[in-house]
Amino acid sequence: MNIFVREVKGNLKSLLIWSVIVALFVTIGTAKFSAYFENPEMLKVLDAMPPALLAAFSMEGFNLTTVSGFVGLMFAYYVLMLGIAAAMWGSEIISKEERDKTVEFALTLPVTRSRVVTAKALAALFNCVALLLVTWGISIVTARPYSPDAAFYRFLALLMLALFLLQLVFLAIGLLLGCAMKQYRRASSLAVSVLLGTYFLSIITALSAKLDFLKYLTPFKYFDAVKILNESRLDGGFVALSLAIVVVSMVGAYVTYARRDLYI
Amino acid sequence: MTMRMNILHQEFGMRRQSVIIWSLAIAALILLYLSLFSSFAADAALLNEMMSQFPKELLTAFGMNDTDLSTVLGYFGLAFLFVQICLAIQAASYGFALVSIEEREWTADFLLAKPVGRAQILTSKLLAVLAGLAITDAVVWGASLLALAMFTGGQSFETKPLWLLLLSVVPFQLFFLSVGLVVSLLVKRIRSVTPYAMALGFGMYVLSAFGDLLGESALEKITPFQHFDPHYIVQHAAYDAPLAALSLAVIVVSLVASYVLYRRRDIPAVV
Repeated sequence: MNIFVREVKGNLKSLLIWSVIVALFVTIGTAKFSAYFENPEMLKVLDAMPPALLAAFSMEGFNLTTVSGFVGLMFAYYVLMLGIAAAMWGSEIISKEERDKTVEFALTLPVTRSRVVTAKALAALFNCVALLLVTWGISIVTARPYSPDAAFYRFLALLMLALFLLQLVFLAIGLLLGCAMKQYRRASSLAVSVLLGTYFLSIITALSAKLDFLKYLTPFKYFDAVKILNESRLDGGFVALSLAIVVVSMVGAYVTYARRDLYI
Repeated sequence: MTMRMNILHQEFGMRRQSVIIWSLAIAALILLYLSLFSSFAADAALLNEMMSQFPKELLTAFGMNDTDLSTVLGYFGLAFLFVQICLAIQAASYGFALVSIEEREWTADFLLAKPVGRAQILTSKLLAVLAGLAITDAVVWGASLLALAMFTGGQSFETKPLWLLLLSVVPFQLFFLSVGLVVSLLVKRIRSVTPYAMALGFGMYVLSAFGDLLGESALEKITPFQHFDPHYIVQHAAYDAPLAALSLAVIVVSLVASYVLYRRRDIPAVV
């Protein structure tokens, strides 16, 4: 509990900065969206197009003249930002002890290494949940002027659930890297590499239908906002895959940290 | 302002592994993307035909307005965006780490006790980083030319936009290097470089992508991803001169400010 409280306090500034960034981002986005909202010209254009064409560009869900379409478009950016935050928190919260040369002190206290990892992981999780709630709250507040219906709130809640799962995935990968890397400086740069690599992969898969099989490798493709809007549920297979990644990474984190030679 | 060979050596050696990894990763990225070109070009021609029927506002909203992915350079411009993201993060992390690492690892007082002026130290360090970035550039250029020669399937393309594109990485990197450096000197302490480098490099990218998505506005003009937008360069075979000049101005101001700040910086020492 002491470690948890300490870590939450220590990361408060980072959480605040991320919250401000997300808030700014959503506010700017909404300001731009107001130009599209129920814009008759856009509506006419969309109505005039054959549905098959819209489907080809997966635009049927991304109707920018509705609030749901707008939030669906923003979802990719939410995933990117919250994913970066989660991966960073995960890897830094473990590796910073070695960077700040406090690891000897922390580990001479009468707590086992696995309890240290648990407390730190929970503190990072606390941050992730807080940032998610901030994102959720701001999305609701900024959407309110457009008087969305109940279906929108359900859609938003599902998006946030998907976002939470992806946060967990990136957090667990970050924690694993923080625990497993011998050199503390490698941990966060590797976490970033994983994030960038999977992000680029997600864009490649979007280019051509032949590369569709790659979607299993990149969490950015696990939950598609258009599909969520149309089916109003998350893809069960990908939920299971996300949870499997989280479990494997966490087990790996505990195992590697328990037998890790510390960098002093 | 002169430099010291031994500091330069030391700094270059410290960064050698990182430079090699970044260079190889970016080269692999270019080769991977370009190798997909031939299979993609066929689809893209169809796509273009369909897209020509769309109204312009809609395409702008989806960031597809001036991209012709069926041409070699149109496709290369897309791949180049990812190269830019990597280069931005690399240069930003070098910039943030350049002098802050000495303070974090308590080696600053040792270094500054040497009979070398602070400006000399900064110049030597900067030159070492520039050498590393130049090596990365050379690898990027080599990989681009190789990939274009291997995977274009005999399609011809103009060389001028290509060279403008390839040369644009130099001011692009300098922007992130110098801004990273000056920010690291403005704050009291940098505990970890990666979050800062990510925030600057990736943040600028997200800002730019976001601006493309929802139309023009003033805020996006601050990001080098707009200053050296690959689509613009490919389409116009020229730089967006006022925006490129903005980048250069930021570089100059940041470098001058870095020298001023570093010379009068209060350095924490081991007690």
